Amino acid sequence: MGGLRTEEFIVNMGPQHPSTHGVCRLMLTMDGEKVVKIEPFIGYLHRAIEKICENRTYAQCVPIIDRFEYVTSMSCNQVFSLAAEKLAGIEVPERAEYLRVIMLELNRIASHLIFYGVTAMDLGALTPFLYGLREREMIIDLFEMTCGQRLTYNYIRIGGVSRDIPKEFVPQCRKAIETIRDKLNDYEGLLNENPIWLVRNKGVGYLAPDVAIAYGVSGPSLRASGVKYDLRRDDPYSIYDRFDFDVAVRYNGDCYDRYLVRLDEIKQSIRIVDQALDGLPEGPIRAKVSPNFKPPAGEVYSRIENSRGEMGAYILSDGSKKPFRVKLRGGSYNQLEVVPVIGVGGLIADLVAIFASLDVIMPEVDR
Amino acid sequence: MTGDELKDYVARQFEGRMTLLDTGRFDPMYEVKVPDLLEVAKALRDDENLKFDFFCNLGGVDTGERFEAVYSIASTINKLRLDFKVMLPRDGAEIESVQEIWPGANWYEREIWELFGINVKNHGNLKRFLLPDDWDQGHPLRKDWDAPDFIRMPEL
Repeated sequence: MGGLRTEEFIVNMGPQHPSTHGVCRLMLTMDGEKVVKIEPFIGYLHRAIEKICENRTYAQCVPIIDRFEYVTSMSCNQVFSLAAEKLAGIEVPERAEYLRVIMLELNRIASHLIFYGVTAMDLGALTPFLYGLREREMIIDLFEMTCGQRLTYNYIRIGGVSRDIPKEFVPQCRKAIETIRDKLNDYEGLLNENPIWLVRNKGVGYLAPDVAIAYGVSGPSLRASGVKYDLRRDDPYSIYDRFDFDVAVRYNGDCYDRYLVRLDEIKQSIRIVDQALDGLPEGPIRAKVSPNFKPPAGEVYSRIENSRGEMGAYILSDGSKKPFRVKLRGGSYNQLEVVPVIGVGGLIADLVAIFASLDVIMPEVDR
Repeated sequence: MTGDELKDYVARQFEGRMTLLDTGRFDPMYEVKVPDLLEVAKALRDDENLKFDFFCNLGGVDTGERFEAVYSIASTINKLRLDFKVMLPRDGAEIESVQEIWPGANWYEREIWELFGINVKNHGNLKRFLLPDDWDQGHPLRKDWDAPDFIRMPEL
């Protein structure tokens, strides 16, 4: 094919593409099947949450920030409440802290189950999606019986949680995590040794640890590259220092390890929920906080370990009842930023695997 | 290194370049002068005892009189975290890009350029990002900005 003239061409992947987990456009410069250049375009889901928060009281901000990252909206509640509590010096009651940990970990499991299903679906396997959502449903039922909501919970409030758990919660929760522990074998059986899954994921999308850190990749995607960095352990917030769990870490940094590390994390989250249910004390669930409380002037950056990496909230208070400035940081933002770095040189089909394995979710990027 | 040790260490190593602001009981916040930004950032990353290799967050603030750019960085090796800010005049605000130190800052700087109108020197890719491509209605996160369809309630 010596004299054949070839040239690069441009393909738009998205915005309406099922494997972009929301609405994201990747402008790909292609050389045949090979990706030469990737340029992401974001902002399709920009809802100006940060600006809206400037015109709301602190308590009113919590339900809006629910929409920041709706797959784990407990974490959104938590990160904002944590920052506001730090600003105002509010002590959270013991029972509320335990309830928070239980909900956060259940939400993490639910999110990883979505990851499990969606990643497999992006690569053409539909069954895991049904499996994952089936078990997630049990967790969502637990949330629904606690706070009445299935997606945006507004459960963790400034100073505690919105209401106590009903008495059926604890037995049903134990049953749910027992079932999920059981079903994990099914999940692993479906994909771990599946030859198609291995070909599509093993050795694909290698993310070196130094590149990951330099680009601010955090959470499971960072730990799959062999960096043992988990904010629950390394910068403990709430009461995470009281629980006994291992930081899941894998060393190959490819799509397959990013998948495995999340399954490992489900197991660790189950351990934490188990311990938290055992240690759940009696007592008040909420500190007395006026809905229009005015924290003193100051600024604070709080961060937590979300299922998609480091989630942070920066609040600047001028001493009035509304935050002067809120800046939200989501793990997906940096994960998407690194896609052009590790996707270049691969095939377009691998790009789908990379995108899915980094577990990017667009509302968190666009805010 | 505990919080107080970090405070002492930074005070010793970065004397004159990082000024501790009075933040009461909150986390320490340092001020870095605009011309020193790159040099201080580099030193923070490369210092053996600090190794701030992880870029957490960059947020812009419009206080009405001036702009601020607030950097939050962390160390994955020494498990530390630090905040510092640069203060900028409202006219002709400009910061130096810290991409060569923390490549992850790229998008944060693009965002600050777009939403606050703070220019970023040596960025290389300042293009519309969160807002529509044909946006021509100013910088939405500035405090004196009103939405184009916003009608102020009349004083009664």
